[in-house]
Amino acid sequence: MSINPVTGNRLTGRAAACGTAALLALALAPPELLAQDASPAGDGTQAQEPAAPDAPAAARTPPGDRAARDRAPRPQPDVGRDWPFYGGGADAQRFSPLDQITPDNVAGLERAFVYRTGDMPSEAAEGKYAAETTPLKIGDALVMCSAKNVLISIDAATGEENWRYDTGVPDEAIPYSASCRGVSAYTAPELPADAPCKSRVIEGTIDAKLVAVDLADGTPCEGFGENGMVDLWTDIGERVPGWYAVTAPPAVVRGVIVTGAQVKDGQAEDAPSGVIRGFDAVTGEFLWAWDLGNPDNADGPPEGEVYTRGTPNMWATAAADEELGYVYLPMGNSSVDYYGSNRSEAENRWATSLVALDVLTGEPVWHFQTVRHDVWDYDLGSQPTLLDYPGPDGTPVPALLLPSKQGDLYILDRETGAPLTPVGEVEAPTTGDVEPEFIAESQPVSEWHVLREPELTGRDMWGFTPIDQLWCRIRFRLAEYAGYLTPPSAERRWIQYPGYNGGSDWGSVAVDTQRGVIVANYNDVPNFNRLIPREEADARGLRPINDKRPGAQGGTNAEGAGDAQAGAPYAIDVNAGWRNDVTGIPCTSPPYGGIRAIDLETGETLWDEPLGTARRNGPFGLPSGLPMKIGTPNNGGSVITQSGLVFIGAATDNLFRAIDIDTGETLWSDVLPAGGQANPITYEVDGTQYVLIAATGHHFMETPTGDYIVAYKLPDR
Amino acid sequence: MTHATTADTAASRGQARRGGWRLAARCLAAVLALIGLVLAAGGIWLIALDGSWYYAPAGLGLVLVAVLLWRQEMAALQLYLLVWLATVAWAFWEVGTDWWAQVPRLVAPTVILLAMLVMLPALGRRRAPARGTAQ
Repeated sequence: MSINPVTGNRLTGRAAACGTAALLALALAPPELLAQDASPAGDGTQAQEPAAPDAPAAARTPPGDRAARDRAPRPQPDVGRDWPFYGGGADAQRFSPLDQITPDNVAGLERAFVYRTGDMPSEAAEGKYAAETTPLKIGDALVMCSAKNVLISIDAATGEENWRYDTGVPDEAIPYSASCRGVSAYTAPELPADAPCKSRVIEGTIDAKLVAVDLADGTPCEGFGENGMVDLWTDIGERVPGWYAVTAPPAVVRGVIVTGAQVKDGQAEDAPSGVIRGFDAVTGEFLWAWDLGNPDNADGPPEGEVYTRGTPNMWATAAADEELGYVYLPMGNSSVDYYGSNRSEAENRWATSLVALDVLTGEPVWHFQTVRHDVWDYDLGSQPTLLDYPGPDGTPVPALLLPSKQGDLYILDRETGAPLTPVGEVEAPTTGDVEPEFIAESQPVSEWHVLREPELTGRDMWGFTPIDQLWCRIRFRLAEYAGYLTPPSAERRWIQYPGYNGGSDWGSVAVDTQRGVIVANYNDVPNFNRLIPREEADARGLRPINDKRPGAQGGTNAEGAGDAQAGAPYAIDVNAGWRNDVTGIPCTSPPYGGIRAIDLETGETLWDEPLGTARRNGPFGLPSGLPMKIGTPNNGGSVITQSGLVFIGAATDNLFRAIDIDTGETLWSDVLPAGGQANPITYEVDGTQYVLIAATGHHFMETPTGDYIVAYKLPDR
Repeated sequence: MTHATTADTAASRGQARRGGWRLAARCLAAVLALIGLVLAAGGIWLIALDGSWYYAPAGLGLVLVAVLLWRQEMAALQLYLLVWLATVAWAFWEVGTDWWAQVPRLVAPTVILLAMLVMLPALGRRRAPARGTAQ
């Protein structure tokens, strides 16, 4: 063998990454199987059903009764001067037509203002903050939520506070993290122009409230629910703080607010439902529910009952399609992520799928499953991006781009769910000592683009010395590993690569349809996992969130690092990022994350660079100060500007940077006062372009917590 | 008397100098022996697991280096140079110019190389008297 084809490739030749070892093993499916998978109703399980739309069997209440208001498509505000949606425009492309800041002058960028939200963790909430905040910019104001859901409006040019409204979220409500990725704004066409709450800010909170306040002054909207609040715990079951929490901005389509919630992973089979619900954006009135476990609950469960427990939930941000009247739901896995033999047929059918729901009826139209029988916590974490893309006959059709945590990029027809880019089948190993019968024998795979890197080998093991590297090599050989679809195991550890952080996570991707470029940042980190037999889990004191006993562990630590999975025969232990159990240093060599530009037409990689420098990393947790690119884990997305710049924080080096979209070269960076794990935005006030990012840190990414909102502009002439 | 005193002083000076170097050489030898034993044991385990064959011989090499260093023989440095060169060759064969991947492969062995070079004055002392005796 010559120079290492694996690791050498990882630094220099990411363009060739599509030809991964995993894909070499890929057996192309016969055309009829492909067609079946591509069908709108392809439910992704082995037992395929006919290609019919996802229509429920029983006749349903006519939509008019549940959604009496005018539900015609309404014109949507444009991105540019404003940043009116979480993803920029209604299409969530994270692209801005602004071009004042250019590759030529970006080096002169300076801070315009730094605003502090004041929302910092109490002693009890220490280590549980990851605000992930992305403001909206509407008119002259920025509007945002803090980690614990304080709604805030500030002047977009000066950072002076306009108003704030504290939703009063208690610390005990913090689930895995105190996060509020964003808010949504809605202007009600039916209200008079001077009516209170004509334009409103809508937020879902981590204590599961849906809140609406007046965009102008932060006053709760009286006509919305009860004094501007709808309780999402309704019909969910026993209130266990932190188990059921909204962290994503709700989608608003044709005046219908659509939200799911994060159901804290890994607690119990008998967990809150993953139900998706629609509410009237003006009155907060409950319109419909999509309970995938029981379609008869569309109007709410019968008295005394609750929505189907433990079903796949949606913690990520949905995409709104005003024109078609659909909302695209990136669904996660069932509450017990790593064991599936006792899952219902409905769970198997919908988990880890993108589901198109008709907002007028709350009924599914089509869905596309990215993982069959998911036993890896490969929740869809990214917000899909809407775009037009050439259909089978070459004519552009309404489409959406779906990135997955496994790193597959799919482009689907928005009306039918049919893939517009090639989707293949890869044979999956059905080894493992736990539930080989449940493990799917094959999985869908994007044959257009994957962010996933080649399989790990012993050579990829790392450390600071030959000794810790040797230990990782021994662990590597001892573990179960047969590529990225290695089934979970209990006797020995198994390697999951990529881990649950992706591939692509909630930062999603940015798309420049004019240049024809997708910019995707991604993680390149394995997890080192083991299913823990119940007896051992009991001995370790692993208990679900609703069964805390004195001295019990689990439920508050890093996700999956000892979660009970009560009701399943196994608990789960995740070593996220596969740290060496002796030194704490990663067992695999850098890079741990990158950013890539992809040709939108061909799916080919244009450039690929490690994202993040080594300045904050070093032996024994000491910052090395090294400015060299190493490629760190990252969380948070990018924004593309018309002028050809990509702005992104995300990496754990606390840098906010501007990258040339043509070359991948970093043209400018600034050290943030805390971790930049948030999606940046850009906007304009009085002819001046601003770029802004929240430096609020992320406990899991191990960056410093902060409450900073940092805005940049070019110096005044 | 005077002669004897001078001789005593010279002898004790020489003793001290040799003693300091000897202590240093033996400290390093102990460290290298420890590292070598860990690498050899882990390396044999890794071979049993069908993994890389680098670590076991490298570890055994280090143990030998440690023994020679303990005896302050010049061969310690010569053997270590061999181990180091083999390590470099293996490292580039495995990961080429992926410098982050080279960190665990090259940094510590090179630090040891520097330590061995520092030990140069401590080496070869045993041999010289031995040769002298033979003459």
